[in-house]
Amino acid sequence: MPADPARRRLTTAMRTLWPVLALLALWELAGQLDWVAGGALPSLSEIAHRYWLDRGDYPRHIQATLIASGAGFVIGNAIAVAAGLLFVLAPVTGRIARGLNIAIFALPPIAIAPILALTLDGMTPRIVLAALGVYFVTMQATVTGLQHFDSRAGDLVRAYGGGKAAVMRFVQIRSAVPAILSGFRVAAPNAVLGAILAEFGGGGRWGLGTYLLGSLGRADPARLWGIGLTATAIAGLGYAVFALISARMLGRSRSVTLNPAAPPAESRQPLSVPVMTASVALPFALWWLVLWVLNVPRMIGKTPWDVVDYLFFSAQSAQAQTRLLEALTQTLPITLAGMGAGLAFAFALAVSSRLTPGFTRAFLPVALVTQTMPLVALTPLLVLILGRGTAVTLWITISVTFFPAYVMIAQGLAQVPRAALELPRAYGATAWRELRLVAIPASAPWAMAAVRLTAPRALLGVMIAEWLATGRGLGNLLNQSRGYMDFSMIWTVALTSVLISVAFYQIALVIERRVLARMAAL
Amino acid sequence: MTTPAGIALDHLSKTFRSRGKAVEALRDVSLDCPPGSFTALIGPSGCGKSTVLRTALGLEPLDSGAVRIGDRTPDKATRAGLTGVAFQDAALLPWRTVAQNVALPLEVLGRPVAPEAGRIRELIALVGLKGREAALPGELSGGMRQRVAIARALVTEPRVLFLDEPFGALDQILRRQMNIELQRIWAETGVTALLVTHGIDEAVFLADRVAVMQAAPGRIVEVVDVPFARPRTPALFADDAFHHLCDHIAGVLHGGADAG
Repeated sequence: MPADPARRRLTTAMRTLWPVLALLALWELAGQLDWVAGGALPSLSEIAHRYWLDRGDYPRHIQATLIASGAGFVIGNAIAVAAGLLFVLAPVTGRIARGLNIAIFALPPIAIAPILALTLDGMTPRIVLAALGVYFVTMQATVTGLQHFDSRAGDLVRAYGGGKAAVMRFVQIRSAVPAILSGFRVAAPNAVLGAILAEFGGGGRWGLGTYLLGSLGRADPARLWGIGLTATAIAGLGYAVFALISARMLGRSRSVTLNPAAPPAESRQPLSVPVMTASVALPFALWWLVLWVLNVPRMIGKTPWDVVDYLFFSAQSAQAQTRLLEALTQTLPITLAGMGAGLAFAFALAVSSRLTPGFTRAFLPVALVTQTMPLVALTPLLVLILGRGTAVTLWITISVTFFPAYVMIAQGLAQVPRAALELPRAYGATAWRELRLVAIPASAPWAMAAVRLTAPRALLGVMIAEWLATGRGLGNLLNQSRGYMDFSMIWTVALTSVLISVAFYQIALVIERRVLARMAAL
Repeated sequence: MTTPAGIALDHLSKTFRSRGKAVEALRDVSLDCPPGSFTALIGPSGCGKSTVLRTALGLEPLDSGAVRIGDRTPDKATRAGLTGVAFQDAALLPWRTVAQNVALPLEVLGRPVAPEAGRIRELIALVGLKGREAALPGELSGGMRQRVAIARALVTEPRVLFLDEPFGALDQILRRQMNIELQRIWAETGVTALLVTHGIDEAVFLADRVAVMQAAPGRIVEVVDVPFARPRTPALFADDAFHHLCDHIAGVLHGGADAG
């Protein structure tokens, strides 16, 4: 046992570092010897060499992506935090905006990238898509954070005549900071993903997405890896900054003793008919409004009614239905399978990080790199390695589902109050029993929120894989329609994918309520 | 010294309903605490004694009955800064220092904090935490946190002090010390105090009157006058008459029969 702290810190650092170093060495070796898929995985030195040759191209591409994702990140998060505050202070607004929130969340960015590129110009589509990507994660984290506060501290403020606003000001906002920061953390890669997807879908000379798309056909794995790693570094940097800030703040935010209050059951209230109607109508009304305000030509901008007309009443309706149904039967089964696997993996890792911190310390940096790698950058690389079959779709879906689920579940586990954790330990409980008795039940609401969060992301993963790699399903239909300028079909696929995502979300919500109700009854 | 205000609880009734079950927490609870008096409310767990206190602070709505603090409703009295409160859990905000936690009620009431800085320091010294003004709650022991909560309850110079088992989590020795401290603070400030507790000796040592409650439905079954002269000293804990009174209250708690 090393006694002095400096040496112990070094040992800990080494324990974290050596698996990473070992992996990098293995990578170099595998690249040099062309072990993976006949050279699809280039060695690190090859990537570095290619990077050096391309050094003139990078700055402007990076700058473009950085500006778009940064602007989107700031705007999206500002709106999200403000909206979260509003929804908690005036719950009826949250219920009315519910349909819109779910629609924004479920919106596969890939499906609306072509639409945004058609209706907006310049950097705007990229910023909008990046902002859309961060909005829901941060809004949800804000709402959850504001609702999980120490109710006794709330009582204290109310005992001095403080109202809702005072409880919000003195207790809720500050105690929500870790949750909001964890939202920012997850949102950072989303912003980069959104910006790059918009670069994919629209024109524009500069941007890592443009660069990637342009290099896709050149069968130069080293350059694809270089672009992918650059995008990853941008996203990872954003993630790391907020992870660092939130780690510094968590110690000061956790209440010292157990707060007996359960999270408020507001969301379980049945919606009244007018609120429900408003909630469903709002996204469609906004859709119409945006088309009208931007004055989009009717040929390009389709209204909700246009889509219904195209799919059911027009001359092409039969053919359109057949194509859509065929795409759906290809997309849906694989989405469900990948989602289940990703969730199981996230839960196992979150639990194991509590049981065997050493393993997680070693594994997490690696997982972090693969996860902050924006999906559009990851997909071509996975295609290089795994080919264009089902395996690639499945892996992409798992990787998409896994990360947000892991962050949410781990966050829930980290928030278990100290006293509650120490009680079973005081009775000599093993780590596993302690986890089963306290940590898992205490984090259950967070785990369920994670289920809800990942369901629509799984569909996005499948669609990106289909667009870029397998040439099947909804993603491919979208890409084809884009190529044929089949605007009706573009809007139809976008609407269908949103509706499927919303359905997934609702199903996850029903399951969440069942689980919570059963736990409350125990 | 501020003018104390009395507390009048007038026929309070309250029933909790959850998942189809109804629990009658309070049935026709009446209690009058004259200005400057010290009243203890004692009873078994779940007898509704904390609910009495929460309704008196306006934290919990009543089914019927009324609470008056001085000549005001609870809402008006709390908003006017007449009341001070310490709960069973210190409920300190983990991101605020000791001094900032003590200042919280002033901020909630919208009063300026800066002119009170000296008094906040005095209060912290009064509860024996001199020199820990800048500590965070996470750095304090359970007893220290509870003492911060007492200081916080006094910061507004309240005329009525509500104490909900404020020493419930402390050990016996510390608890006795805090009882003596509390008696001193009460005598110095002349505040009207209502203490909810399940410690019989604590109630008898501190209070002028002990109201004994029983559960299901929560109700007051007897109000016992405590005759001992003030200031009371730790020697009282060894007094025969003290034990006799404690035994009597224990008897009332265990089913109404007079054990003495």
